[in-house]
Amino acid sequence: MSKSRYGSHLARWGVCLSVSVLLGLGLPLSSGAQEDLPEGFKQQGLPSPPPAEQIEAGKRVYFTKCVWCHGVEGAGDGPGAVRLWPRPRNFNAGTFKIRHTASGQLPLIDVDLLQTVTHGLPGSAMPSWEGILTEQQRKDVLAFVTTQLVQDRSWQDEEFEELFVLQLDQLAPKQNTPESIKRGSELVVEKKCIECHGLEGRGDGNAFNLKDDWGFSIQPADWHKCWNFRGSRQDPYNVRNIFRTFSTGLNGTPMPSFADNTSVDERWDIANYVNSLCERANEIPAPQGQVSDETAQVFSTAAPLPIDPLTDKPKSNFVIPSKFVEGDLPTDENDERWKLIPRRWLAMGGQITHKPRNFVNRIDDMWVQALYNETHIEFMFRWDDRTKSIQEDEVDWDPTEVNLGDYGVEEQAPQGTTFAEDPFHQESIAAKQKDGYSVYNDGVAFQFPVKWQELPAPRKPRYFWGDETFSVDLTKWTADGTLGVYEGTGWDQDLTELDFQEEVEVVKAEWANGRWTVIVKRPLKGDYEEVAYLEAGKYIPMVFFAWDGHNGDVGRKMAVSAFYYLVMEPPIPLTTYVYPGLITVGIVIIEGWVLGRRANRRKEKGQA
Amino acid sequence: MTWLKLVEGYMPMQMISELACSILVFALINWSLNRAGMGIPKFWAGVGVWIYIQLYLKYRIYPPIPFSVRAIYGTVSACGIFMWVSGSEDAWQEFKRPVINVMDGISGFHKSMRTVALIVIPLALGGFAYNSFLPSFEEPIELRTVHPAPPATTKVHGKTFVLQVVENPYRVNNEGKYDQAYTDARIVEQAMGRLMKDVNDPNYNPWDPNAEGYTKYVREGGEIFFQNCHFCHGDNLNGRGLWAYAFNPIPANFTDAGTIAQLQETFVFWRVSKGGIGLPGEGFPWASVMPPWEQHLTVDEIWKVVMFEYWHTGYYPRTWD
Repeated sequence: MSKSRYGSHLARWGVCLSVSVLLGLGLPLSSGAQEDLPEGFKQQGLPSPPPAEQIEAGKRVYFTKCVWCHGVEGAGDGPGAVRLWPRPRNFNAGTFKIRHTASGQLPLIDVDLLQTVTHGLPGSAMPSWEGILTEQQRKDVLAFVTTQLVQDRSWQDEEFEELFVLQLDQLAPKQNTPESIKRGSELVVEKKCIECHGLEGRGDGNAFNLKDDWGFSIQPADWHKCWNFRGSRQDPYNVRNIFRTFSTGLNGTPMPSFADNTSVDERWDIANYVNSLCERANEIPAPQGQVSDETAQVFSTAAPLPIDPLTDKPKSNFVIPSKFVEGDLPTDENDERWKLIPRRWLAMGGQITHKPRNFVNRIDDMWVQALYNETHIEFMFRWDDRTKSIQEDEVDWDPTEVNLGDYGVEEQAPQGTTFAEDPFHQESIAAKQKDGYSVYNDGVAFQFPVKWQELPAPRKPRYFWGDETFSVDLTKWTADGTLGVYEGTGWDQDLTELDFQEEVEVVKAEWANGRWTVIVKRPLKGDYEEVAYLEAGKYIPMVFFAWDGHNGDVGRKMAVSAFYYLVMEPPIPLTTYVYPGLITVGIVIIEGWVLGRRANRRKEKGQA
Repeated sequence: MTWLKLVEGYMPMQMISELACSILVFALINWSLNRAGMGIPKFWAGVGVWIYIQLYLKYRIYPPIPFSVRAIYGTVSACGIFMWVSGSEDAWQEFKRPVINVMDGISGFHKSMRTVALIVIPLALGGFAYNSFLPSFEEPIELRTVHPAPPATTKVHGKTFVLQVVENPYRVNNEGKYDQAYTDARIVEQAMGRLMKDVNDPNYNPWDPNAEGYTKYVREGGEIFFQNCHFCHGDNLNGRGLWAYAFNPIPANFTDAGTIAQLQETFVFWRVSKGGIGLPGEGFPWASVMPPWEQHLTVDEIWKVVMFEYWHTGYYPRTWD
């Protein structure tokens, strides 16, 4: 019963909202003229209702596949919902984010909703159902959802509903020329996009307290990760997706439609600029969102990152190359020598192996680069984090302690251990609790096996701070300025501080415009055996960890990567040039021999 | 391009049938050209087919197959083509004629071809050798056993389970007795979509308010799955969850006919309870992020979630007999 109580409360609220939206829209409509529509939109008739058999077929799909997150009454409150952020959609009010229709209007069922089901919503738990459900099954389930679960509005409501549809197929995208990108970079300031999305578009603007229509915490998109755009439709670098979202807004969120106060031409410029910010193979700096002519030129020609069709994320490569450089290692991120090596994209997921598990990690990737000289190796980590978090209150535990459950650091219970009788209590819902955590330090860490030279392949110390047999050397930086090197012998074993401490160095640690840049330097070899000795030309296993202090990340609650390999590339040996030369000469000799024999045989034949 | 998509789970069959179809098309074209008197020289037909197969393997197959595997396929297809061109003495003579002609330099054109070949072949092989000598640091290939042999017994929450004899206490009929046939009849349909058999029947729909016994336990298992497991194993149990992209080894795909469909339910119970860290060495326990679920779930919850996985994928657990 408690489920429906919650649902009906929202439903009533949704009616108020939709009525007020419709009243607002009603004013210009009373004149009824097509010219009043925003540029690029056309009015379209309401769809006819689906047949009863189709609704029935859709019910079967819904209760097999969808109910687990979206709930029995479609209120976005299925059993999966409590640990999800973003929350599953509550269908009851008919509020849908990704649409071709004007702000506040219902979406197109056979276009918008079908595409959402087909391609999923990246960055959320909604997967792509293509290849799992047939197109007919996807249409069936939409017939069920739109007629039975959308309760406050109806696609058949001639009196209140209208559809003004963005004619996206008929609008040719504007070429992403340097001029267009530059103009876009000025327009995002003029149209105040940066107030929420931040100066560099990392979603770090003055927007930490944004809420959606249901009061759940929501954050502005990070334009640098277009593969996480909900409306990216498995085609993240396609500028049309950005144009659509910008033109129609995201219903139920603070993202408005800009159709009324921007021309189509201006919208393409903005879309081109936003699209150009999405990460490429090489860093393209545009500090403070200032785009010079040269930068605009690079933006307009840089190739997109290859996207893995199995994950819809950038393709990962588990080898982190490091190049040898003469003399001192770089002192900041602008050193030209970082361009010697590609930067690697580290995919990160929430730590969910041991308690406290991190079901809603806010750090989902990092970029890393490494350079070395005769004595030291230097790592540069850059990752997007909307908030700079430095712990203000004293904590009771030491940096070496890992079992913080003893101090009350707990994971989010599925229905809130203390609220089991009321699963809809706000503290039992991840999306409600979101901004309510204590603030801890942001941080980054990486581990090597201490005795990686002695590992019998493919054996490694456990990814989670090693094990009893093989310990790890964990270098951890936290935003309060601490850099420590510890020995780890297991996920639940307190760390041991190593004597290596004085020799490691934070070269730079800076948070700016929604991104951390942390450069850490450490000697290749320590004075003691407990420290990993890093050698060139070998595969050295590495694992990375990251903490977002505003997400309540501390101790074992963090984001974690898979195993990567550090390879310090040695200089090219002489044999690389000698052997191919010998082989070439050898083949020339063989050729001469074969042709000579052939000629002799023909001669013999001729004589015979 | 949607019709060109590789269908999940049909990979080897789809590859073989697509290749077979295109070879058939080539044979037809070749045959009709021959009839029309415009036949392609055997040498070029053979080389063309071989290049086609190589390009197909390189660009069509996803995820990409490593060079060593392509080399094996390349050798096999070269053998096949060789058998075709050497089927009869005439065919063999016809096949090797262009090569011999170039070697003998029978005309000005063939002479210049010979000169080009004499220069290009050593350079190409030298370049190939240089590339292979150049230190390169590709991702190492590490082969792991996905389904290692289970132990005879496992101890979960202080209780010892003998895997050969233990039964899922929730796999019961309406009399409360263990009954695999009864529960197997109530799983989802093994057709596209894998949907429940009847949404309006409490025997088949776990969400029906009147669902009881097995069907109700399936819902309870599903609730646990969607609060704990879908993050990696995905909303459709196909191993494509929210964080699947971040982890290696990748999460198991239960809809694949090679995972839980091949296993006894007790094996799955053991794997779920002990997680990645409980794997033997050949399963790479150090790399797997699979939680030892005994740290998070009760024994009952584990049995229910295992049962849900079979229900949702439409597979029967294997039995000991």
